[in-house]
Amino acid sequence: MNPHDWYVEHRIDFITRILGAGEERSFADHLRRCDECTAAVRDLERELALLPMGTAPVHPRPGFRRAIVQSVLGERHRVGRRWMVPVTIAAAAVLAVGGYLSERGTAVRLAGALAGRTEELMALRDSLSIMRQAARVLQARIEMDGHEGGMLIFADNVSHRWNVVLHGLPPAPAGETYQLWFICSDGMVRGATVTSDPSRPVFLTLGMPKEGGTVMGAALTMESTANASGRPRGKELAHLML
Amino acid sequence: MRLAPGTRPSGARQLSVVREGELHQRLLARDEQALVELVDLATPWLLGVAQAMLSDAGDAEEVVMETFQVAWNRIETVRDQGIGLMPWLLRVTRNRAIDRLRARRRHLTGFARAEALGGIGVSAVEPTEPNEATLPGWHVHEMVRAAIGSLPVEQQAAIQLAYFQGLAQSEVAERLGIPLGTVKTRLRLAFDKLRGSLAAVKDWII
Repeated sequence: MNPHDWYVEHRIDFITRILGAGEERSFADHLRRCDECTAAVRDLERELALLPMGTAPVHPRPGFRRAIVQSVLGERHRVGRRWMVPVTIAAAAVLAVGGYLSERGTAVRLAGALAGRTEELMALRDSLSIMRQAARVLQARIEMDGHEGGMLIFADNVSHRWNVVLHGLPPAPAGETYQLWFICSDGMVRGATVTSDPSRPVFLTLGMPKEGGTVMGAALTMESTANASGRPRGKELAHLML
Repeated sequence: MRLAPGTRPSGARQLSVVREGELHQRLLARDEQALVELVDLATPWLLGVAQAMLSDAGDAEEVVMETFQVAWNRIETVRDQGIGLMPWLLRVTRNRAIDRLRARRRHLTGFARAEALGGIGVSAVEPTEPNEATLPGWHVHEMVRAAIGSLPVEQQAAIQLAYFQGLAQSEVAERLGIPLGTVKTRLRLAFDKLRGSLAAVKDWII
């Protein structure tokens, strides 16, 4: 066996990381010099890319997802805050002289407000998740005919139901209706038709569809009342993936 | 309705590819809501991988947090790897978990480590709750489990310990009471078979 044969034989051991640490270093060194092994290793990685999905998922503890986002974005926001002080000072100085950088101050203020709202939203999602035993809380903003509304879905994995809230939507035009859809692995499955009243939210509780395969998300469309069966044909107003 | 093992729903695949592409673009554009969606989507799977290997919830959470830090800071490198977003995240998580295991081995020997941290067995591949079928990616999990389940039992055991729980090959040999060379042979045969049987799901992204 020549030295290269050893690397050929151990390609799969390398990508699955079952080589010892020393062998792994030696293999990594070899890859820097060998295009053939590099290409082969890349192919193997693609072929086995989803093998880790054989491990059962673990539900994160309440608040963990929020902690991740805060941890990732917190670093960026801290960097942002370090920049914010000189930017604000500079803006103030320029404002004192000419005031033409006021947009910048507004942008910083709005960014701060947005970060605050995002944090509030994540806190609410966590709270609702715990209160309603919902594994997921999804929301979409919907703008229609000058009305600003939205759709909230609380996916409850215990009862296998979705609690859906639609709010702020104008009544559907004559001859049309709001239609909720399940996005399933085999295609779109009709959920419920919804009559909307902008003055108060609409609450729905839906069981999972018996057909269509794995439920992957939801969509809201505006359908003609003539389209009472089959696939969606109307305008899509919201699209949420689990 | 559940998918039969080995089947690949084309409609869902299209949705997955579109969804992955859209999410990736938004992450590249530093869309924070895209990060929130990615965290929602991927955390249960990444946590599963890390916890199975590390047998420690705290360590597993740290690994998953590190993974998302890497994803946010190096998202532009994903396309260079030639794989999708989810496989990339799984790989980063697994690699980080292995690095931690190796660091631990400086203090504990392999089998003692596994014993000390709650034992090792072949049950980690089993689903923890049947109602998790609503999780995005569950069908991929089922297909991978079916592929693993089709291996001879002795190869399943070797894969379980070496790949899913991160034991060194010598630790697997000790655990199973077989020679190291036999472990290597079983693993090689198992991975070769899995390459073939996972071909149907290798395009899945999210």
